[in-house]
Amino acid sequence: MLSIVPTFAWLEGLAWTTALRESPYGYPLIETSHVAFIVIFAGLVMMMDLRLVGLAFRHVPLAQIQQRLFRWQMGAFVPSMGTGILLFLVDPLRYYQNVFFIAKLLFLVLAGLNALVFHLKTYRKGETWDEDPHVIVTAWRAGAASLLLWSVTIVASRLIPNNWFK
Amino acid sequence: MLLPFFAWCESLAMSQAYRDSTYLFPVTQALHLLAVTVFVGAIVIGDLRLLGWGPVGQSRASVVRSAQRVLLWAGLAVLVTGIPQFTTNALTYHRSWLFILKMWVLAAALLFTATVRHRVAVADEGRLASWVPRVVGAVSLVLWMGVTISGRLINYYG
Repeated sequence: MLSIVPTFAWLEGLAWTTALRESPYGYPLIETSHVAFIVIFAGLVMMMDLRLVGLAFRHVPLAQIQQRLFRWQMGAFVPSMGTGILLFLVDPLRYYQNVFFIAKLLFLVLAGLNALVFHLKTYRKGETWDEDPHVIVTAWRAGAASLLLWSVTIVASRLIPNNWFK
Repeated sequence: MLLPFFAWCESLAMSQAYRDSTYLFPVTQALHLLAVTVFVGAIVIGDLRLLGWGPVGQSRASVVRSAQRVLLWAGLAVLVTGIPQFTTNALTYHRSWLFILKMWVLAAALLFTATVRHRVAVADEGRLASWVPRVVGAVSLVLWMGVTISGRLINYYG
């Protein structure tokens, strides 16, 4: 069976990945930036989710909070993805079998799919969101699922250094 | 001066239980990050509004007031999950310049949020020059991101 391990070993042996891994500043600064961008991104997503489930910002129309926060969420998501990919490339053999890393990726994909489905199913209704009872129910479900999925993603990502299931 | 207090924190039964357990400390760290995420989200949405971005259809006061309840609950969770992390390794933190920096920036951020930021957010929108809320939003963002980043760097350069 074809193994991915030689590719990861090759990646890990490259001059630039070795330099970043062994530098006293490279890895810590990338990882710290990654956490900072994730906290902003997921924090803003969760603020929107709290609105969708009706727990906060109830005076802000659903459509408006979605439209006004989207660019800021993406502005933090892109660098968080970039730094996350870089962290993996620098130390792939450490991560690829880590249960919490795999869980993080899985829940990240599920959270993304949840957002995509909500976006495609509901977004077009735009300004009528707040009057349409069907949209309100769909929004509540999407918000609750998103809160749960992002919470698990964040918890899993912080547990990555503790590989309890080798 | 604070050394006896730090030593007392580390000697608590709770601190010992955290040191003895394989799971307690990492799980608390993970929940702390989750609470920090919600807290930062509530700060950033208010700061974006102060900067003239974010949900601009609403007044600054209503956005910041609505975020306040989230801030209080998330802040409580940050505190509850942060205290045992501190007491478990209190003597290590006593020697950590990054921990001391984080505490100073945290104190400045809390003070700024409760005083200047709150007063500017709830003030009549026409009463203040447009640059005032923008500067306040930017300072708040810098302070709270300073707390987050210095907290994270303790793991590496503590």
